[in-house]
Amino acid sequence: MHPEKPKHDFEPKIIAFVCTWCTYAGADLAGTSRMQYPPNVRVLKFPCTGRIDPVFILKAFQQGADGVLVSGCHPGDCHYIAGNFHARRRFAAFRKLLEFVGVDLNRLQFSWVSAAEGGKWVEVVTELTEKVRSMGPMVEFKELALEEQWSGAIDTPELKEAYEQI
Amino acid sequence: MQNYISQQNFNALLDSLISQGKRVVAPRTNAGTVLYEPLANAADMVIDQLPRRSGKEAFFPLCEDIMTYQKEGQKIELQDIDPTRFLETVLVGVRPCDAAAIPVLDAVFSWDYKDEFFLERRKKTTIIGLACTQADDACFCTAVGLTPADPKGADLFLTPLEGGGYACETQSEKGEALVANNKELFAEPNGYKPLPLAEPQTGKFDLKKVKAWLDEHFEDPAWDSIATRCVGCGACAFVCPACHCFDIVDEGTEKQGKRRKNWDACGFWKFTHHASGHNPRDQQPKRYRNRIMHKFKYYDDKFGQTLCTGCGRCIRLCPVGIDIADILQDIDKIEVKVKVEENS
Amino acid sequence: MTQPIDTSIYAAVTAAIQGEAKRILSEGQVTAIVGYAAARRKGSAQPIVISQPDDAQKLIFTPACVNNLAVYLTKAKKEIPKTGKIGIVVKGCDLKALAGLMGESQLKRENLYLIGVPCAGVLGSTIQPDTELTSDSIAPKCTECNERMPPECDFVPAVQVPVNQGLEKKYAAEIARLEALTPQERWAYWKEQFSKCIKCYACRQVCPFCFCEQCLCDRNKPQMVETTPRPAGNFAWHIVRAMHLAGRCAGCAECERVCPMDIPLNLLNRKMAKELKELFEHEAGFEVQEKGPLNSFTDKDDQSFIK
Repeated sequence: MHPEKPKHDFEPKIIAFVCTWCTYAGADLAGTSRMQYPPNVRVLKFPCTGRIDPVFILKAFQQGADGVLVSGCHPGDCHYIAGNFHARRRFAAFRKLLEFVGVDLNRLQFSWVSAAEGGKWVEVVTELTEKVRSMGPMVEFKELALEEQWSGAIDTPELKEAYEQI
Repeated sequence: MQNYISQQNFNALLDSLISQGKRVVAPRTNAGTVLYEPLANAADMVIDQLPRRSGKEAFFPLCEDIMTYQKEGQKIELQDIDPTRFLETVLVGVRPCDAAAIPVLDAVFSWDYKDEFFLERRKKTTIIGLACTQADDACFCTAVGLTPADPKGADLFLTPLEGGGYACETQSEKGEALVANNKELFAEPNGYKPLPLAEPQTGKFDLKKVKAWLDEHFEDPAWDSIATRCVGCGACAFVCPACHCFDIVDEGTEKQGKRRKNWDACGFWKFTHHASGHNPRDQQPKRYRNRIMHKFKYYDDKFGQTLCTGCGRCIRLCPVGIDIADILQDIDKIEVKVKVEENS
Repeated sequence: MTQPIDTSIYAAVTAAIQGEAKRILSEGQVTAIVGYAAARRKGSAQPIVISQPDDAQKLIFTPACVNNLAVYLTKAKKEIPKTGKIGIVVKGCDLKALAGLMGESQLKRENLYLIGVPCAGVLGSTIQPDTELTSDSIAPKCTECNERMPPECDFVPAVQVPVNQGLEKKYAAEIARLEALTPQERWAYWKEQFSKCIKCYACRQVCPFCFCEQCLCDRNKPQMVETTPRPAGNFAWHIVRAMHLAGRCAGCAECERVCPMDIPLNLLNRKMAKELKELFEHEAGFEVQEKGPLNSFTDKDDQSFIK
């Protein structure tokens, strides 16, 4: 029996970039153990957190993500020995950059979730989903995506309306 | 004839055009940089400065959508933009070097293929030119056959006067209509004296001589010494009032997206990069050569005009100090047989 | 208050560079020298490559000698002759870029003959190259410079650099101002700045560290960054650029100087440099470092932000 799901006005879209060896297996464990976690999260599997380029996070926000999760093996457990150590430094730096250009870091979460930590996966995903839900949609990048240079903007409101309905 | 307008009345004219729903594009400051942009208020206008980018943007946007696509299963929907519904625009404060480039662009955009986006925007735009009173040693309009008071390309041409205000000359039906519809703002001339015109401080060169040399010197060691320093950015082309190359890209997902037209520049290595991986202009001097050749030879061959109006923007903004006027002066100094109908 | 900057040493520096260039070219120690030469406009200078001893007299050093010539030695701009040993005129800031490039195995010290310049500062913009060098017109990087005498060069003119005292540190002040804003205000600030971008890629092309044969942002399969000069694509490009230079940027500020739209790009680079110093105690310097802060790690790195 599934517990009844509460209805919300806003369902955030969360993109999770995970490594295949630990977090993906952890999320799988959560599923096979029939643990419930918010369906808001879309999981994208990578070989290693070391492969997750900051530009992926940027792209996720640009394409409509309200929150992003990056998760991989605990330090010392990397299948490729040091991928997550490199990732740790890279994301420490990237966070500072995003903060400086005005992105609210509450929308971006990093975690270590091992293949055995199905429970932690549920906890991390639930917490991020609820946090982002309370913050509302990520509007900055979406608004930016709709903006045009004045010269290329569709000139008349009626034309713009007709065009956007496509 | 009523051909004087005070600064106050000129601003009132622009404000009235804005309130009629027309887009009034004029130099204004955006985050510290003077650019042609739509005004919300005539008071925002910074008419005494040459904007960093040229006025071509009003007809040839930096980036514009030309089509959208949407795919659902087997169903593909394409939707064109309808250019006939573009907004009426008044482009204000255009210096002769920017205005003269517009007829030059007309030639290429209405040549074998009629570019409806450009031509429609062009049709709906009235250009208010302004005689130029400021020049520096990067300006060379007088070397390419223009003057700081050349009304070419303008519909209404203003000459700033001592003590403020402008003398106006209508240059086309569009200009006449603008004056006729706002008669009350114009007054009789009253012995006003025009401000002294700008004096470009760049030496002249003979365009025919330059072209004669270019005709014979596609391959020449000079190109290496001229352009080895070029780092291959697009700054010169993007600030140029006459450069008009564009690239068409599809952006979006496999489900939906837009086809867009963006400015492109011959300085980029990608400009001539083939899908095969081959690049006929594999070195920077070859790319820079194309810039000079296109401006002073190819365009002349095809349309009998020069693709340069001497605004000097590329000279001021080149990251590595490449000076097109200097290059042309050097070519001019080379002894060449000018083959321009010596017999006639 | 505007105060003049003393550049009286530049005449002696110019003479010394010319003498040394002539000597090493005629002795065959180098095949070519990358330096600065006067150009047509009053007070202007442009990069030049010379290979004849007689051309040494063309070399100059003035406040308009702004370029970081290291860009002419990196992979992507390899059209400068590269046979044998090359001489290069470097300011302190440019030398840091060379050290960085050596660390990234792009250059070898033994292939270079470094002609160091004792530098009192250069112009922030050369749109009007005859501008007098003052505390207002000086490049912001020069207000924070403490490397006026480049060390460990093969030749440095023996002149004493005057000390410029009391110049306001422009980047530090501006970064502090932005950090004090709310995220929404910072977003608005950068949105306005990036909206001016025309994607001319001058910032990329003059950067000594942007030596990729093909830039990520030029690729379209897959397309990671919108190539169109719209606000969204511009924002993405500048974030990618700042991130790719984090821990590598040597602070020559060429990106900011060349931007035809006056976007304060070096603020992003300086901010990242500041953060990487705090996080990993890394700083760009004259020492050739085999590993940068983002391609090395320790097992004790901060992970307080990771759950």
